[in-house]
Amino acid sequence: MLGRGLKRKLSDYEENMAGLSSAFDSSRNLPYPLKRQLVLNMCLTKLQTYKMLVEPNLHRSVLIANTVRQIQEEMRQESNQQPVNVCAGITPSTHSYTGMESSGISLQLPSGISQQESNCCDLRSAEDQIENSLLIVSDDDMSSAISSILKDLDFVEDISPPTCLVPTGDDQPKFPENAGLKLEDDRQDLKGAECVFGSFEISNSTSYLKDLAIDDIFEDIDTSMYDSDFCCPPLTPPRPPPLATEEPLKTFPSCNSSSANNIQICRTDLSELDHIMEILVGS
Amino acid sequence: MAGVAGGGGNGNDFQWCFSQVKGAIDEDVAEADIISTVEFNYSGDLLATGDKGGRVVIFQREQENKSRPLSRGEYNVYSTFQSHEPEFDYLKSLEIEEKINKIRWLPQQNAAHFLLSTNDKTIKLWKISERDKRAEGYNLKDEDGRLRDPFRITALRVPILKPMDLMVEASPRRIFANAHTYHINSISVNSDHETYLSADDLRINLWHLEITDRSFNIVDIKPANMEELTEVITAAEFHPHHCNVFVYSSSKGTIRLCDMRSSALCDRHSKFFEEPEDPSSRSFFSEIISSISDVKFSHSGRYMMTRDYLSVKVWDLNMENRPVETYQVHEYLRSKLCSLYENDCIFDKFECCWNGSDSAIMTGSYNNFFRMFDRNTRRDITLEASRESSKPRAILKPRKVCTGGKRKKDEISVDSLDFNKKILHTAWHPMENIIAVAATNNLYIFQDKIN
Repeated sequence: MLGRGLKRKLSDYEENMAGLSSAFDSSRNLPYPLKRQLVLNMCLTKLQTYKMLVEPNLHRSVLIANTVRQIQEEMRQESNQQPVNVCAGITPSTHSYTGMESSGISLQLPSGISQQESNCCDLRSAEDQIENSLLIVSDDDMSSAISSILKDLDFVEDISPPTCLVPTGDDQPKFPENAGLKLEDDRQDLKGAECVFGSFEISNSTSYLKDLAIDDIFEDIDTSMYDSDFCCPPLTPPRPPPLATEEPLKTFPSCNSSSANNIQICRTDLSELDHIMEILVGS
Repeated sequence: MAGVAGGGGNGNDFQWCFSQVKGAIDEDVAEADIISTVEFNYSGDLLATGDKGGRVVIFQREQENKSRPLSRGEYNVYSTFQSHEPEFDYLKSLEIEEKINKIRWLPQQNAAHFLLSTNDKTIKLWKISERDKRAEGYNLKDEDGRLRDPFRITALRVPILKPMDLMVEASPRRIFANAHTYHINSISVNSDHETYLSADDLRINLWHLEITDRSFNIVDIKPANMEELTEVITAAEFHPHHCNVFVYSSSKGTIRLCDMRSSALCDRHSKFFEEPEDPSSRSFFSEIISSISDVKFSHSGRYMMTRDYLSVKVWDLNMENRPVETYQVHEYLRSKLCSLYENDCIFDKFECCWNGSDSAIMTGSYNNFFRMFDRNTRRDITLEASRESSKPRAILKPRKVCTGGKRKKDEISVDSLDFNKKILHTAWHPMENIIAVAATNNLYIFQDKIN
């Protein structure tokens, strides 16, 4: 018998999820809020799994995030209409998850889950078991979960038309619904689901470099050694080495409409890395 | 079904027969052998497949043998080459998969064949040419290639061409790289035969086949603030006849038709195709299953077809508010969406294709089933690509999925379907009733029965 608050192994959780999702599909009388909660949990679990991938699938992430937003919106509308907790029958003190960690949701399933193995066809007990095993996550937890999960996904560097990044100090809530939330929440909670894809691009290096005087940064770095490789006059900006087109290091996306300055800045950056990598790889 | 006119009171104009199967029989399927794209060329004589290992295999149809009139030309391996290699992006510490996402043939202009193949990031133009002669009798080198001493040469001769065993060479002629930040999902050759487009999740680029260091961005749906992203591009294709028109589909189930003459950046569409949602079938998964996985123009250019998770829709380009035809591929899965979401099957991207006369369409399903719909008779058929029914010229038996109640003999129940056996890629010969169906690592070729 598992005690309350103990973390379950992932494999057990997956088995339970498979059982729960087939229960969702087969049971017509499952109360709607329960179904919704189940779907929501699945979505958040998936997003968290994607967080662990080096390169999550953008298409899937968008679809899942939209589903979460849709459910979020529905729940907010319902809670606006009735002050009572929508998930009736589930005492928040026993089952709701508290204490949001910024690193993500830890899946803690309360006791009673082992009863699911010995379930019978009785609908009421099936519902109880599903209720018992669902992770009830509050609205804020959801939003901050998504934002924290995907904030770490700093992987795509995109130097096509420099976009205006939201300055980090901006904490104006963009979702109108956020106004209804507790304002003492963390800044990152308020950003909510709209932060989902903020981290699909690196803190844009072009704007970063535009903000700071480029000369100041690279003042003390002597790049003359790298510049002279192909007898380029030192006055012209360093150019990336004309490697074979299949050179795997040349992964920099071409920018069609960026200003020339940006291109030069980016290429300086990249050519240095290219050179360093060449030396390391010994090619 | 379809393609063959005439007769048939019972609705089955003809039947499909097994012709060939390519690929290993082992139960253990190597990941690299999984076929990821299938495409006939314009004449149908060549059939190309790409796999997850970055290889392209081209099959050529043998000339029909007069002494065996009953057996149509078979497809045999013509050329195999490694198109893409796995790459490592040091900047982002990411592996770039070598999986071939799409192959598109160029129309043939001389003796050589050209095709475009793409992985997630790089498109390559390959030239496949035959060499069946070689020159003999060089003056400056021996038959085995060693250089001759010029002082020893006392007479000159003209080299002569002698026949040799046919050799098929594939060489990369152009490499179009570094233009896509996100993963390429589509390429499409323009009807002008000079340009082509490539589409990733957020952008579409226009290329000239001769120019590799430059491409024009014609669609960009990336929001200024990535936090506002709610929609991605899922497929794109040029119109078969109008070189200025192309369409792209989205993850929200919409299709936009753009005209490149209207502006350089086609962010504003000329036409917007969207079917209003049926409120009675709304569920948590409605948006996910509405995501379009493939879009194909008809050969006539008057219609286009889209594939979403449960259905195939045919659109008239002149009518934007709803499709003219909707075909249910596997509606019995609608009650299983939660399980399919849980095991990620709901994200499977099925393709679809037209037959040469646009009278029939085909798409894949699970359990190695594939479906064909006759647009004229409105009949549909479910067939299976399996080793069991792989005897030469064996007629394929129609399959049926039992959705509930008593299961009849030969029917298969929804719960018994194997969701690991999915047919995502199919192709139909441009003129004849020959179809190629990719089932994981095997390629099945079926033909219509010759009466």
